[in-house]
Amino acid sequence: MAGGGDPKWQKDASDQNFDYMFKLLIIGNSSVGKTSFLFRYADDSFTSAFVSTVGIDFKVKTVFRHDKRVKLQIWDTAGQERYRTITTAYYRGAMGFILMYDITNEESFNSVQDWVTQIKTYSWDNAQVILVGNKCDMEDERVISFERGKQLADQLGVEFFETSAKENVNVKSVFERLVDIICDKMSESLDSDPTLVAGGPKGQRLSDPPQAGPNANCNCGK
Amino acid sequence: MFGNLDKLHTGWSSGKPTGTLQPEEKMAILEVIQRNELLETAERQRVGRLVERVEKIKQRAAECGPRYCRLCGQSFGLLGPSKLICDDCQKPVCSKCSIELHSRETTGTRDIWLCKICSETREMWKKTGAWFFKGIPKYEIPQQRTSSSRQSFRDSKLRQEKPVKLGIKCTDTSSEEEDESTTEVDAQKHSTAVLNGRSSYCSAFNVGGNRKHPLVNRQNSATDTQSNQTNYDWETASISTTNRNGRRGSVTSSMSMSETSSANSSNGMGCYREPCFGWLELSVNYSEADHTLDCSLLRARDLPTMDVTGHADPFCKTNIITPYGSKQQKWFATKTVHKTTNPEFNEKVRFLGVEPDELINGSMLYVVILDDDRYGHDFLGAAKINLAPIYSSGPHRMTVPLDVEDNFCVEAAMSGPWLFGQILIALCYNTKRRSLIVRIDKCTNLMAKDKNGFSDPFVKLQMRPDSQKKKFKSSIKWRTLNPIFNEEFAFETRPNDLDKQLLLLTVWDKDLGKSNDFLGSLILGGNSKGRRLKQWKDCIRMPDCFHEQWHCLSGEHIPN
Repeated sequence: MAGGGDPKWQKDASDQNFDYMFKLLIIGNSSVGKTSFLFRYADDSFTSAFVSTVGIDFKVKTVFRHDKRVKLQIWDTAGQERYRTITTAYYRGAMGFILMYDITNEESFNSVQDWVTQIKTYSWDNAQVILVGNKCDMEDERVISFERGKQLADQLGVEFFETSAKENVNVKSVFERLVDIICDKMSESLDSDPTLVAGGPKGQRLSDPPQAGPNANCNCGK
Repeated sequence: MFGNLDKLHTGWSSGKPTGTLQPEEKMAILEVIQRNELLETAERQRVGRLVERVEKIKQRAAECGPRYCRLCGQSFGLLGPSKLICDDCQKPVCSKCSIELHSRETTGTRDIWLCKICSETREMWKKTGAWFFKGIPKYEIPQQRTSSSRQSFRDSKLRQEKPVKLGIKCTDTSSEEEDESTTEVDAQKHSTAVLNGRSSYCSAFNVGGNRKHPLVNRQNSATDTQSNQTNYDWETASISTTNRNGRRGSVTSSMSMSETSSANSSNGMGCYREPCFGWLELSVNYSEADHTLDCSLLRARDLPTMDVTGHADPFCKTNIITPYGSKQQKWFATKTVHKTTNPEFNEKVRFLGVEPDELINGSMLYVVILDDDRYGHDFLGAAKINLAPIYSSGPHRMTVPLDVEDNFCVEAAMSGPWLFGQILIALCYNTKRRSLIVRIDKCTNLMAKDKNGFSDPFVKLQMRPDSQKKKFKSSIKWRTLNPIFNEEFAFETRPNDLDKQLLLLTVWDKDLGKSNDFLGSLILGGNSKGRRLKQWKDCIRMPDCFHEQWHCLSGEHIPN
């Protein structure tokens, strides 16, 4: 898989010099451009050739935001349904989701609601979501207007960006915004609920959920 | 793969996808999982380090009760730091041990104070992601730097457990000492091992009412079955360690989330480290040929503070305690290391004429750490080292937790003559009279300045600064070195001013026809140390009742 032997990846992955670690997940229908989006952000590279992602992959990138070093582990998921049992297993650890559709693909836009349901089902309830309409460089083939995208985002109560991994439009902004939202949520959750930190019975309540990990739901290896 | 093609959709379908994965797909996914595993391992260790950091701060906290700063243990009051309440734990804390923070809430921002523990805990919650998961994620406590053999043993143990299951084995940690920290398994394995700090564990952990040093036992019951008793204590030691691991185990349970660390601290943490006296590092060696016992007092750590600046002036007094009492009449004293709670003594003491049976029959090396002050030597901590294992297995270097005060500590503190005697005084701030009432109770062991072998003592008192510039004199007690006065004197002052005032006492021998002889002095105030500081602050904090305390007199003249 991409990135495995990449020295840059190794450097980033082994780097322990950071303050926060955020796990992000990119989801959306197959071929909306999730992998390209991630490659553009992590490696600043782009290829038009379509290679379907097998199950899952991730890349690591450390960013500097508000005087804090934030290490991002960004999961790229396969859009194909047959991998869904694998991909949903990683929802639980994710603090942020980039929900992506293709502005030239009506079906991918129509599936957004289903993806939201997936997030609600499998992720922690305070996970943050950004809606992204990708391939905005292909204006000629556009079928989903910016307004429709924006309207859906408002309806879902999430932020909205139109991006192009190919032309490198808004790619960085999406990640930066998501990091900011998570940072805000972090300060908010600690300030508004200090009893959380102080302990007490509250902490135990959450020790119940089953572990989210490759082994929890994965039947691929058996 | 192609057989499932009809089930491949880019969108959504009802029913569960049933496609099985091809070998190359499995390989690809496994590779990602493995890469993730590396990252997760590093992350668990990082979280472990963050957790450990907070745990260490918690361990160092004084936690002496509501009247003292949770962290540094300073008492509050007009002379001490002002009292703040931590917004998270609601415990009192001084301004030095807390930070002010702008807290954002739904109602807007507000300024709050957080003690160092809670602010570090918040930070830890952010950094570990616990804020998101509402509990600290799984973690591994970093390995201790230990002896090579044990290290490799643990490593191999960890390696066995590492793959896929991710059940985290937590090895002991929290303590800073290197050799003494043991896992449960270690403790059992080495239970036959001799004094390797484990005897000190006994004393550290059995702080409850029934705690007894094997040697103390033997002192009471003469020549009893010593080996049994020693064994008993080894066992207690290993049980204590087990408890400790049990406690940690609950933090790192195999569940995905663990209890919050503070909850954990409330049910276990405080009890075995309180009261906290710090640690002493020393090495001991016995030479059977020369009948000498060499003891190197290396350093002490985390000693209690004795003054408002958070310092102490520690020194050690050491002796061998045999079943019949202290071996040397004079306790050996080290030099004082000033203005520190982590002194480096690096002094060697050699005890001559130490017979082998003395060691076997239950002597112990006793090290008392005291605070050096001209008005008395306040107790900082005591270390008791069983010498039997030293005899049987050669030199030892160890770090032992310091223990509470007992009779030997008093003996040590009072050994070496206090030339100028002692004075018993009581202080009371009377809110009705708006005055500090000083009651001079009595003096003992004053110096003899007259030819008849006695003195004719009286006490002079004044406050400095004092707007009234009042000076008092007690009556003269003729021909005595242990006068009883029971006289009260009142200085008009406000509690706020007491903060900056000093009470000066001098004791004099009345001589007719020539100038009086100086017998001793004592200064009490907010910059006093130890017992004197405590009396002064108690008097401010709890007005309208008398606070009585013995003090040693100093030979220093107080300039006018």
